[in-house]
Amino acid sequence: MIDTLFSGLIHGSAYALVAVGMSLIFGVTNVANFAQGSIVAVGIMVAWWLGSSLGWGILPTVLVVIVVTGLLGLLMNTAVIAPLEGRKPIAALLATIGIGQILDNGLQLIFGPQTRPFPKLLPTYNLQLFDVRFGTSDVVMVLLTALLMLALWAFLKYGKTGQAIRATSQDPEAARQMGIPVKSIRNISFVIGSVLAGISGIFVGLFNANINPMNGGSIGMTAFVAATIGGLGSIPGAVVGGLVLGVVESLGISWLGDGAHDLITFGALLIILIIKPQGLLGPKTDVKSEPLTGTFLGGGRPITLPWWGNAALAALLLATPFFFSDYLAGVGTQVAIYAIAAVGLTLISGSAGQTILGMAGPLAAGAYASAILTTQLHWPFLAALPAAGIVAAIAASILTFPVWKLSGHYVAIATIGVGAVMVAIIRLWEPLTKGSLGIQGIPFPTIFGQVLYTQQMQYLLDIVVLLLALLVVMRIRSSHLGRVFEAVGSDQEAAQALSVRSSAYKSLAYALAAFFTGLAGALLAHQYTYIDPTIFTSSASVLILTIIVLGGMNSPLGAVLGSIILIGGPELLRIVPDARIIVYGLLLVLIILFRPQGLFARKG
Amino acid sequence: MTNLKRHLRSGAALIVAAGTVFGASACGLGGDSSASSSASGSDTVNIGVIYPKTGQYAEYGKLFEEGFNLAIEKVNADGGVQGKKLGLKYFDTQSDAKQDAAVAPKLVADKSIIAVVGDYASPASSAASPIFQQAGLVHYGFNNSAPTFTDTGDHVWTPQIGQDKYQQANADIVAKKAKKISVVYIENDWGKQAYEYFKEAAAKNGTEIVYQSSYLADSTDLSPILIPARDAKPDAVVDIGYGPDGALVLNTLRDKLGYTGQYFGGQETKEFLDLAGDNANGTIITGSFSATGTKDAKAKEFVKDFKAKYGNNPGNFEVTAYQAIIDLAHAANSTDATRKGIQKALKTVTDFPLYQGNGGTFKFNQSTRRADNIDPILLIVKDGKFEQYEG
Repeated sequence: MIDTLFSGLIHGSAYALVAVGMSLIFGVTNVANFAQGSIVAVGIMVAWWLGSSLGWGILPTVLVVIVVTGLLGLLMNTAVIAPLEGRKPIAALLATIGIGQILDNGLQLIFGPQTRPFPKLLPTYNLQLFDVRFGTSDVVMVLLTALLMLALWAFLKYGKTGQAIRATSQDPEAARQMGIPVKSIRNISFVIGSVLAGISGIFVGLFNANINPMNGGSIGMTAFVAATIGGLGSIPGAVVGGLVLGVVESLGISWLGDGAHDLITFGALLIILIIKPQGLLGPKTDVKSEPLTGTFLGGGRPITLPWWGNAALAALLLATPFFFSDYLAGVGTQVAIYAIAAVGLTLISGSAGQTILGMAGPLAAGAYASAILTTQLHWPFLAALPAAGIVAAIAASILTFPVWKLSGHYVAIATIGVGAVMVAIIRLWEPLTKGSLGIQGIPFPTIFGQVLYTQQMQYLLDIVVLLLALLVVMRIRSSHLGRVFEAVGSDQEAAQALSVRSSAYKSLAYALAAFFTGLAGALLAHQYTYIDPTIFTSSASVLILTIIVLGGMNSPLGAVLGSIILIGGPELLRIVPDARIIVYGLLLVLIILFRPQGLFARKG
Repeated sequence: MTNLKRHLRSGAALIVAAGTVFGASACGLGGDSSASSSASGSDTVNIGVIYPKTGQYAEYGKLFEEGFNLAIEKVNADGGVQGKKLGLKYFDTQSDAKQDAAVAPKLVADKSIIAVVGDYASPASSAASPIFQQAGLVHYGFNNSAPTFTDTGDHVWTPQIGQDKYQQANADIVAKKAKKISVVYIENDWGKQAYEYFKEAAAKNGTEIVYQSSYLADSTDLSPILIPARDAKPDAVVDIGYGPDGALVLNTLRDKLGYTGQYFGGQETKEFLDLAGDNANGTIITGSFSATGTKDAKAKEFVKDFKAKYGNNPGNFEVTAYQAIIDLAHAANSTDATRKGIQKALKTVTDFPLYQGNGGTFKFNQSTRRADNIDPILLIVKDGKFEQYEG
């Protein structure tokens, strides 16, 4: 018991170190930096190269890592984040996702894909306590975390620059009028945050011992969870959050096994958010600016087409299956399915202004519902399809129910947890879902006795469902209900004052979105004929959100356009196979830079 | 006036659109294969490869590529297939199901492709299978040992040793060394199934499993499950997983938890040996190939060629990739270098060259579409290298 606890504390201090950097950036720039984990990975890989290939010691390695990650932070802010200033923070968030992809794949291209041992820059297993060995590296890591926490606190509290950073984060306009060079202050914040990430990379490398250039994503996600548990924006909170998460994981996994790892991590996140939304050490007052929420409503309005334009587009779309080749139709199925998954999000994230980051959950629920109904209960496909949507909507609503009493960006973060927990439940509910084994032999869709066995037939089905989804979503948007959603999204307080129960309407909009995503999941299952939990990852959630942001948060047609680019893009880019995913990330960043209001929206 | 114009315009748009629909419907929804003709008279036929060149599984993609490229050189040096040159067409999927489903029709549409090999992971492979099955194109999932993989249809084949046989051998060697064991396994379709078979075989052998837990592939700290695994005082710890996670289990046990007993697990790759370092010594795994231990003449030649080209000994992934191409070329040479020919050969030919196990040849079991007579072998790590182990 005590040994499990102790090893959890050590692991927790590795989380804490990364979470401190995450929390700092979030606190002072209001940007949820999804590339932070990738910068940690840059630190890991640079240190690996210096330590093992060149045989450098710890001190010169630390210095070089500081320089490299510092420059990277500066570059990132000046080239991408700063130009997006004044836009809603979600544009910056998505740009960081693109940057993360460029960094991850760039590292893999430079250093090669294999997992490798991290050089022992400090002794790693030379000490022992409670039957668990640990090293000088762990001791230094714990001391460093404490030291950095104190230093940052003192810097932000008493340092002139630190005070300027805080002033800028509270009100950039006022800060500018007081003569604070806001631009350079932002640069400094990003450099500090990146350097922290780089240094923590060295210690995460020492702790994990086996490292891989693609580790950044999961490191970043766990650190984000730790920072949220502690209280986003609070530096001591990040440390406490990291330690708590380390211990909770350790005890939980020891009890339930590591198969329940995700359930424990994200379950802990959800429980904390429900009991104490601002985190363990977060500020008592709720954050007024809502960094992860907000739409492009202020910045852009959807481009709308006259009815005949819509009709012509619909007819054109319906015609495509008849002359597309197998390959085009195959790509088309994926584009259409992800467009269906994303189109409902325009209601909740676009109109009602609530960013949702966990749509992999409803996608999985729909896929599994339809797969189980058709293979075990022998339902016809046409009955299973709407049932899948309903199951997804109900499951998502129940799990998200306690979350709506939260406000602002906490809901967005909570939905990350809900998505992950839904998939974790599917993995553990073996009697029904066959868990990790997956469900094989899901039949192709059958419509009135006709088995849809070609790409074109399935593509036609996907198009029909997509058009129905677009029709319903557009109707809702122009109805009274749609106006209420928009009222909630534009000004929640004003809507409340008019006795609109905003959380009830958000919940309804979310259920509608989950319904369509569930349909998309069912279509996927019947096309792949095999599903297992590894298909529904958090990157699927991010992808679905990115689709509507790219197209224009408010624009159902934009969801189609976004899907064409994000799903079709990697296929088009097959002409540059080596750099395919890097170019894809670059494109994403460029589009956000030059059309931050979304492709299918005009500036307001 | 403007209203009228608008209506006229919209009417015209509708008519054009409707015209497109009906005009195009002549092409129909039947797909390319029903419409277009068979392979052209080109002098090259290809094998399509769906594999992870980028993404989290890229390391395996690289190993596959080495095996494929060497095999293609060998096949063409020996005269190609039916007088034609054999080529490879690579498609990166990141072993991601949605990319597999999207790209599969592209392979089907390319009439120069006579068979498809890959993908790395079963979910991705399975998302592509129905499309190949539908088109009558052989899907040779040379790395897909999931027991249900070939269920999609009669064009889906795999030469992988079934996990039932593999885990029986694994449990037998474990039983020779230990009475009480702790078992950990990777939480995915493969690991879950392999563990079920292992548990069954261990029960038959009278081996007592005193602790068991699965773990997620991306977990970085396994002490919470390995502490109780150690404290159950087993005679041996068994890991059913891959290379990087196998090394993590082993290193955590040895370095962090001070466990000194026997360890079964890991993977026959350079990556595993690099990661585990000295800890790997004495580790026993059930594998299918030993570069230094193989007694088969053609396998020895393969090892020699491989070492000359890449500078290191081939492991399990390289040899299965190599053998996949050699076998498909053998199939084409026994019948026709066409899609139909490959399918016919897999059904009828009984002497596919075998590089794994004890060498020789193998044939397919026609009801399971899996390799029938490949035997697992045992490997032990000595001085940082895998050697064949006689048990």
